[in-house]
Amino acid sequence: MGNRVLVVDDDPDVRLFTTTVLEENGYEPLEAENGEDGLQMIRAEQPDLVILDVLMPRQSGIRLYRELKTHAELKNVKVLIVSGITQKAFLRSQQALTEFGAAPVPEPEFYLEKPVEADVLADHIKKAIG
Amino acid sequence: MTRILLIDDEPDILRVLSRSLATDGYTVACARSGTEGLAAFEAQRADIVVTDIKMPGMDGIEVLKHIKARDPDSEVVIITGHGDIDSAVEALQFGASDFINKPVRDEAMSIALKRAEDKIDIKRQLKEHTHDLEHKIETATRELRRRRNFLGRVIRSSNDGIVATDEHLGIVVFNPGAESIFGYPQEEVVHKRRLPELLPENMAASFLQAMTATDGRKDWPWTETELVSRTGERIPVRFSASILNERGQKLGAVAFIQDLREIKGLQLELVRSERLAAIGQTVAGLAHGIKNVLQGLKGGSYLVDVGITKSDSQKLQKGWDMIKRSIDRTSNLVMDLLSYSKEREPEYKECAPNEIAAEVCDLVRERAQQDRTEIVRDFDPAIGRVCMDPHTIHTALLNFVSNALDACLFDESAGKSWQVRVRTGAEPGQSIRFDVSDNGAGMSDEVQGKLFSSFFSTKGHRGTGLGLLVTRKLVEEHGGSIEVTSRRGEGTTFSMHLPVRTQARPNGPPRAGQTATAREFAAKEV
Repeated sequence: MGNRVLVVDDDPDVRLFTTTVLEENGYEPLEAENGEDGLQMIRAEQPDLVILDVLMPRQSGIRLYRELKTHAELKNVKVLIVSGITQKAFLRSQQALTEFGAAPVPEPEFYLEKPVEADVLADHIKKAIG
Repeated sequence: MTRILLIDDEPDILRVLSRSLATDGYTVACARSGTEGLAAFEAQRADIVVTDIKMPGMDGIEVLKHIKARDPDSEVVIITGHGDIDSAVEALQFGASDFINKPVRDEAMSIALKRAEDKIDIKRQLKEHTHDLEHKIETATRELRRRRNFLGRVIRSSNDGIVATDEHLGIVVFNPGAESIFGYPQEEVVHKRRLPELLPENMAASFLQAMTATDGRKDWPWTETELVSRTGERIPVRFSASILNERGQKLGAVAFIQDLREIKGLQLELVRSERLAAIGQTVAGLAHGIKNVLQGLKGGSYLVDVGITKSDSQKLQKGWDMIKRSIDRTSNLVMDLLSYSKEREPEYKECAPNEIAAEVCDLVRERAQQDRTEIVRDFDPAIGRVCMDPHTIHTALLNFVSNALDACLFDESAGKSWQVRVRTGAEPGQSIRFDVSDNGAGMSDEVQGKLFSSFFSTKGHRGTGLGLLVTRKLVEEHGGSIEVTSRRGEGTTFSMHLPVRTQARPNGPPRAGQTATAREFAAKEV
């Protein structure tokens, strides 16, 4: 059972909330405030799960997600997307990108729409990495 | 060939004359009495009847009367006894074309026949001519009537008001369009009133002047103005007029008037419905913003819960702070939404646009430093104190500058030094221009197209999604306009033009036409 979870979100309040949920449930939280820092953290820290927001400045969650899932070594890192964007809209955006010639990526295994309750979030984390 | 009917009771004369006429090329029929002659004439018309005057039974004069009554176009030549002037005169009175004395000489006969033939010819020509003329007049009259009806119908069915006058400006045409604008029925106006009575003073004067002056005004091009109806209602119209001239003579005047009440109403309606639609679209955008705010509230309460359960005052504090921030965000959102949906008149007062721009730059200084973005001030010192709505300038500039900072923050290119430039400049025509340029991410055509119409967030949890809508509304109400130029990867410039009021007028009404121009935003590639 892994317990290192990286939270990538530009909103400090969301990071604070998520890391608190993680701590309360016995996980070790890591934080990044944009996709760029997130990718570096993933390489350096090799977390068991990445909790990812979609809309962020500097580098979006979509870009980070696609980079991860098309990366030979990192594609098995588990990702839980937590976003204000609905899952349907997210999937549509990925289809559109694929149609424009981007490499196809698998659908995210775990997806939660904001606002998310602490216990629902904890349940999903547990489902993802036990 | 000319047909001749010869009537004489003396067979010898008949024989001699008929033979001689036939030799001259006439077709000749003979009769030996007036009765027989008339019967022959009845059976076959002759062009010329040559009849002896003295005959037993029906005499030549009787024959003449009958023939003329039967066919006035037939010519009758009377053969009279030598020296019988009275009979000859009588014959002429009854319409004989000529008379020949007995004994008939060939020469006299041929002259008489020639004259009769000429007469027939002239009559025929005259008849043809008259007939032709009558036909032409009839055609012309019909055409004239048709055109008159057509023009009448055109004038009547025109939606525009049409008023035409004679040379004294007395109204002669007043169509239903004019009736509905002025509120007078045609019967009360045509031949009863003069055009100047229906117009505002200055327009009335210009018509009177144009009619009397030798080289006066001839045209009034389309202008928007207001007319006052019978009931005193002020009617917004487009008005144009001309003096009607023919060969330098003034015939009258004609005025065309378009009723703008409906259009003005529709414009207002359009502004309102656009606003409603924008609000509808904004609600969808809002949902995203609200989700983030809700997340903050839920997250904050979770932290507070944890803090209470564990008596962890630090968690408690952080949770409470998060709740407070979420409340702030909620209030921003609600205030923006309110100010967007509320009608507001600009509050014009004396202010210094450069000072307001400087205030805005000061406000965002801290945030700009955090984002490693430089704020450059480029103010035109020629702008002093002017009469404008400072709230509009402040809100719009703050919105543009915040957007510009976001555009730099969202720029993913590495090693760039980001810059936001705030420029002010006096423009000719009493207007001030404000430019806010950044060298950040720039916008795709798609994003530019959606800037003002529908809010869709590209900013994650930042902003309320109403900023530009609120700004546009304020600028429109100020009679100004906004332009956007942007190129992806190179940056964006928002330019705002705000007119300066010449004097402070409390609650000055937005003038007609301003909203329309302000709504024309140009989003174009540089």
